[in-house]
Amino acid sequence: MIATKENKATIPAQLEGEFQTLLSKTFSSEPEWLKEKRKEAFDSFCQTGLPTRKNEEYKYTDLKKIFSGNFTAVHNESHALNFIPAPIAEGSIRLVFINGWLHKDSTLSSKLPKGVLIGNLATDGLLKHADFLKKNFSSNEDALSRLNDALWTDGAFVYVPENIRLEIPVEIIHISTGKKELLSSPRHLIIAEKNSSVSIIENNISVDTFAPMIINSQTDIFSGENSNVQYYRLQNDCRNVSLISSTHVKQEKNSHFDTNTITLGNEWTRNNLRIDLEGENCESHLNGLFVTNGTAHTDNHTSVLHNKPNGQSNQLYKGILDGRSTGIFNGKIFVERDAQKTNAYQSSKNILLSDDATINTKPQLEIYADDVKCSHGSSTGKLDEDALFYLRTRGLSEDSARRLLLYAFANDVLNTIKNESLKNYLEELVNERLEK
Amino acid sequence: MADKNEILEEHISSEYKYGWSSDIKMDSAPKGLSEDIVRFISKKKNEPAWMLEWRLKAYRHWLTMKEPHDWAHLEYPKINYQDIIFYAAPKQKKELASLDEVDPELLKTFEKLGISLEEQKRLSGVQSTIAVDAVIDSVSVKTTFKETLSEKGIIFCSFSEAVQEHSELIKKYMGSVVPYTDNYFAALNSAVFTDGSFCYIPKGVRCPMELSTYFRINTAGTGQFERTLIIADEGAYVSYLEGCTAPQRDENQLHAAVVEIVAHKNGEVKYSTVQNWYPGDKEGKGGIYNFVTKRGICLEANSKISWTQVETGSAITWKYPSVILKGDNSIGEFYSVAVTNNHQQADTGTKMIHIGKNTRSTIVSKGISAGVSNNSYRGLVRVSKGATNARNHSQCDSLLIGSTCGAHTFPYIEIKDKSAIVEHEATTSKIGEDQIFYCNQRGIETEKAVSLIVNGYCKEVLNQLPMEFAVEAQKLLAVSLEGSVG
Repeated sequence: MIATKENKATIPAQLEGEFQTLLSKTFSSEPEWLKEKRKEAFDSFCQTGLPTRKNEEYKYTDLKKIFSGNFTAVHNESHALNFIPAPIAEGSIRLVFINGWLHKDSTLSSKLPKGVLIGNLATDGLLKHADFLKKNFSSNEDALSRLNDALWTDGAFVYVPENIRLEIPVEIIHISTGKKELLSSPRHLIIAEKNSSVSIIENNISVDTFAPMIINSQTDIFSGENSNVQYYRLQNDCRNVSLISSTHVKQEKNSHFDTNTITLGNEWTRNNLRIDLEGENCESHLNGLFVTNGTAHTDNHTSVLHNKPNGQSNQLYKGILDGRSTGIFNGKIFVERDAQKTNAYQSSKNILLSDDATINTKPQLEIYADDVKCSHGSSTGKLDEDALFYLRTRGLSEDSARRLLLYAFANDVLNTIKNESLKNYLEELVNERLEK
Repeated sequence: MADKNEILEEHISSEYKYGWSSDIKMDSAPKGLSEDIVRFISKKKNEPAWMLEWRLKAYRHWLTMKEPHDWAHLEYPKINYQDIIFYAAPKQKKELASLDEVDPELLKTFEKLGISLEEQKRLSGVQSTIAVDAVIDSVSVKTTFKETLSEKGIIFCSFSEAVQEHSELIKKYMGSVVPYTDNYFAALNSAVFTDGSFCYIPKGVRCPMELSTYFRINTAGTGQFERTLIIADEGAYVSYLEGCTAPQRDENQLHAAVVEIVAHKNGEVKYSTVQNWYPGDKEGKGGIYNFVTKRGICLEANSKISWTQVETGSAITWKYPSVILKGDNSIGEFYSVAVTNNHQQADTGTKMIHIGKNTRSTIVSKGISAGVSNNSYRGLVRVSKGATNARNHSQCDSLLIGSTCGAHTFPYIEIKDKSAIVEHEATTSKIGEDQIFYCNQRGIETEKAVSLIVNGYCKEVLNQLPMEFAVEAQKLLAVSLEGSVG
């Protein structure tokens, strides 16, 4: 799909000046190439501006509303946190970021296998492995990713060398906090070399967030030949937070990538998930669940690009919508001419609990190879009355019967999570959420 | 795989059957578009002032619009509207008293198309006949069976005739479903439409025969802009057929039609199209741009509108027959087979807008792409707030023949009511080798096996067509896809 050209670029007014301030202060010690990249990205963002609803990719999501506030991208207050969430997985390596900056309480285990690098991008990445970073820094097409390319402050840096299977999960905790309206731009880089494996949990939460916040985060993941990467994402910020989360995954030959995006909080969420299958025999599983109420807005965009033969991709996105919330699923599968024997599946299932909730789905296929199996399904409905009745006859109250059915519906997605402690944690969280 | 290539070759070289042009004396407007041309057309048709006024409004609105280029999965050069003849009509003397006065060349044209107006006349009184309105270039040349129909109070005539004689109905319904502001090509059509069919079925009448319009583009350099308006009053039923062909020409010709359907309480309209415009040659040169706006509204309770289309022709098809389900318990249906070959491009589908309670819609779309063509399904299912118990089921399947074509699916599903149940399924695949093998094993040669499988694949849709059309459609499919798979 060709993006619609905007007639007039809309750029939040304060950004221009703030970008200059950031360049001369915050980013001043950065290497030249990076500053150049930032400038380039910012210029190209200014040219296109924020995508409007005329842009097919943002048809159901209005960015103007989110960016209309009086936010600032220049962060100059420090935050004393009196609460850091307990680890989800026992013994995990934890990287804590506050509004896009590394927090001192991060636990960087020293017992890491040789060659494994886990740290933050701004210091560990830039200071110790700058050349390496330069090589692996990608820039993206999407305007919001461009904005992150220009403004990113810090984020996780995970490097797993060849033949290393990292058993301990890595937790990336992003905390939004403060009294000022902020635009935070975290950026994470994950690299898994040949024959390696790694499991990452990204947890987005809010602690004492008293002003509207925008998080525009970017994650780049390289999954090398024969590697196995799991990236689990929990989005559980408070109602003050608007979260944009863009992820770009590149997979090489025989690699296996799993991701789950669980959205339980946030006022406004946009997830851009793009997977490039660049080698043969790649396998990817994209799953998502969102449970929303109030006026929450959750937009999941996925695109899977099958560039090489024998690829397999599987997507399952489920939504439970209550109140006046809105949910969007737009999944794309592209199968290039070379990608014969591709097997791609996409499914979006939604339950509306309220007459004021809205769901827009657009599962799309673009296929240029003939020997493929591609299908998608989308269904939206209410709770099965018969099932409800059956449970009632077995003595369950209507409330608990309803909750049980909803939980069963949601559980399909949670069941795909391979990390047991995370699964248990989420099961509890979802249950709690459904009780509300 | 040698025979695969052979068969493909054969298929690709299979010629367009309706590619001849007739030497009928035509009366044309000069090339180009301006307010004067709009006035010229209106004057030619001897239209009342309100009609001209409407056309001019549409024209002025069109001037403010931009040709859509960015959202559909289509590629085409910008159309030069000043290079199109917007009006071409067979020269004829006044009113025709009987068929005998029709230009014999013209009758031959329709005979070649397999629609013998003569035959129709002779067969009158025999059951299962079809009333035909034949439209050549821009003008309706002959409507058969008018008398039989008028006995029942059914009005079936050319659009221009309706403007003169049934202006109340035209004023009431024209633009009520597709306003001239709707989209670029609908606005263009509203300004320059030349003719088309008008059909009104009065209260409680079940139309005894199939009504049919046959469209033919003949003159070089013309655009065809016809308008069809079908109204089924309370409890009325009509089945309407539309067929189209065009001569083989090197330049692209534009066909921008508007079809409006209104179904009142308990009314039912079944609209079937077999579209076989000239698709261009195998290098993609020439062919018709088929940019059509078709929309029906189930205005009142228990009404039903059903679209069935078999799209085999046109260089580019851009068409979304839609149903607005406004009345409670109303039903919308869309059955489509779209075949693209060589350089053809199709972006077609439907829109089902659920507004009333207990409304139901069904979408079955079968796309078949071969050659270097691109075939897209684009559809919208919208359940508005308050459309309690709306139900939709969509199924969109694509079949790819050869590895150089593309098949795409773009469904939009927007739901604002919790009681709605909406399902969408789509698959893309090629013809199974084991299916072919099975047929071969039973002594069915590959070419026939493909035809068998494709026909089976499309059956759900073909079954919806009236008898006469189903046969034609099946033949058309066989010709279009003759052994294109090994």
